Amino acid sequence: MKNNSNKITLLYVIILMFVAVIGHQLFLNYTTDNPENVSFYFYIRDFIFIVISGIILKIILQRNEEDNQSVFEKLQITNNEILESNERYDIVAKATSDTIWDWKIEDDSFLWNKGIQGVFGYKKEDVGKTSKWWFERIHPEDSLKMSVKLYSFLEQKTEKWQDEYRFQCADGSYKYVFDRGFLVKDKEGKPIRMIGAIQDITKQKEEEQRLRLLETVITQSKDAVMITGIDTTDNVIPNIIFVNSAFTDMTGYQSGEIVGHSPELLFGPKSDFLEFDKLKTAIQAYKECFVETIAYKKNGDEFWINFSMIPVTNKDGEHSHWISIQRDVTEEKNKVKEREQLIRELTQNNKDLKQFSYITSHNLRAPLSNLTGLLNLVEDMSIEDPELKEIIAGFSKSTHLLNETINDLVKVVIIKDSPSIQKEKVLIKEIFENVFNQLSFLIGLHKPILKIDLEEVSILNINKSYLESIFLNLLTNAIKYRSENKQLRVNISSKVVDDNLILTFKDNGIGIDLARNKDKIFGLYQRFHNHPDSKGLGLYLVKSQVEAMGGTIDVSSVVGKGTTFTITFKNQ
Amino acid sequence: MLEKIFCVDDDPITLMLCRKVIERVAFAKEVLTAKNGEEAFAYFKGLAQQHLENKDMAYPKLTLLDLNMPVMNGWEFLDQYLAYGYQDLFKEAKFIVLSSTIDPQDVEKTKNYPMVSDFLSKPITREVLEELKLKMK
Repeated sequence: MKNNSNKITLLYVIILMFVAVIGHQLFLNYTTDNPENVSFYFYIRDFIFIVISGIILKIILQRNEEDNQSVFEKLQITNNEILESNERYDIVAKATSDTIWDWKIEDDSFLWNKGIQGVFGYKKEDVGKTSKWWFERIHPEDSLKMSVKLYSFLEQKTEKWQDEYRFQCADGSYKYVFDRGFLVKDKEGKPIRMIGAIQDITKQKEEEQRLRLLETVITQSKDAVMITGIDTTDNVIPNIIFVNSAFTDMTGYQSGEIVGHSPELLFGPKSDFLEFDKLKTAIQAYKECFVETIAYKKNGDEFWINFSMIPVTNKDGEHSHWISIQRDVTEEKNKVKEREQLIRELTQNNKDLKQFSYITSHNLRAPLSNLTGLLNLVEDMSIEDPELKEIIAGFSKSTHLLNETINDLVKVVIIKDSPSIQKEKVLIKEIFENVFNQLSFLIGLHKPILKIDLEEVSILNINKSYLESIFLNLLTNAIKYRSENKQLRVNISSKVVDDNLILTFKDNGIGIDLARNKDKIFGLYQRFHNHPDSKGLGLYLVKSQVEAMGGTIDVSSVVGKGTTFTITFKNQ
Repeated sequence: MLEKIFCVDDDPITLMLCRKVIERVAFAKEVLTAKNGEEAFAYFKGLAQQHLENKDMAYPKLTLLDLNMPVMNGWEFLDQYLAYGYQDLFKEAKFIVLSSTIDPQDVEKTKNYPMVSDFLSKPITREVLEELKLKMK
């Protein structure tokens, strides 16, 4: 710049001197009298003028230059400040992760900072330049509420505006945002520009919703929830700082009445002292604890409470609170009590029945065996009187029948009384041979065709005498209830299906009308045929014995065609 | 034929029956009876006294013992008999439990007593006694 003013001054002086020289030359050409002197003086004077004016010009230029210089410097400082400020603004925006927008309301031009790309994933070229683009990206559910608030703000012309809404990202998903805006007004107070900063609060929002959801566990729970502090200086159980509404429902205490008090006031004269002690010890040791005791409602009513105390720690791992979950278990307790009472009664009944069966087996059998013994003696004697003979015969028959009945009953009682019977590995074939031998007389008499297929499995975990009795009863029944007009066939087979052993007894006898008798067939003293030996006990015994060994028995039958019994044992 | 048989039962009819059947089968020459375990034990106690004086004295080689009796039942009697060591004193004395019970647990229990040789169900019959007779020979 300095050189410039010098140059200009020098140029100015040279040009003027040149003009002066030319001027003098022309002047000399037109003047004659003593031109040499005159021109010399003129020359001198002109040069002096030129130099002086040159100096003046130089000074003026210098001043001007200095002024320019200072203005320039000022401008540069301002410029630097603006740059810095811009930079700072970018950094701040980045640091707060705010997205800044600038809306010139009158010409609806809308500018976004880089946040719209960074936070919401839009490409630079996709970002719209109008407020419409902004509004279109607000979640439909939020847009109405938001625009109402925004326009009322614009009209009311208040200084600040802030709102929460969901803003759509480039990928279509929504982010929860917190938007704060400031209005710029012209001299007349008319809003001309609005600047806003959008903050992504999705994480906070989600966390807030999560916490709110978690909170519903406490507030909506049907179990009473209580939170206490940890200070035990005043009370053994620390004071309550929170109770939920279920607690109020359970105890009658409002939150305001009980917060600041110890849960001890739930306990009363009938509360279990030992349980309270347990609680006390656990609290002192910061250990979780579960107690069950009688407690008292606000109105003094007793109820059974199931009460837990669980220590919780803060994020530094220090014990900070106790959480207590409580439940009114009065009903359960009463049910348990009722059940216990019922069990006691049943046990007593059972005892009485056992006593009865004992009486049957001992006290009835003793005189009865005497009767039998006496009749045995009479049998050897000759009785002349025919009437007496008949009477004795009837007497003898009745006594034998009574004896058999009582023997049968005692057998049943013994099966029913010993659920944990001895089980052993038994060869089915062996058992069957025993039964065959016992029935050799009957078999020899009726000559049934026996088809026995017991090869597949021969060993079973079972009570030997029961199985023998089952075989005996079923085989005797098959013989007893054979069809008179065809030869008796009995198929006996066993097979293993999965873990089960299935025994099948099939005959071609007279059959049972199951449509009528399905419910009764295994009942005690149920008889379906007019058979002289029939007592209605065999199948009852069979079923009792099968069930005593954990098995099941099933029957199918067609009248006139035959009957099939299927016995299933778990072969473990 | 046995010299002496001892029947212990609280029921006089049972005792009478025993006597009759024993007579008919000619099972024993003499039938001694007792009404309960205590009486039976007193009898053996007396025998034990005599035994001190006469080692060769006669004692019943067989006792029919009922289980269900007042004052002292059959089990208590057997326990006491063992406790006094009479099974060593009367080496040939055998006991048969004669009871109206058919509870298998009772049958099982008799196996704990070495001097009990059998368990019979009432009533006692000629057939049973004849079988016994054969066994004892």
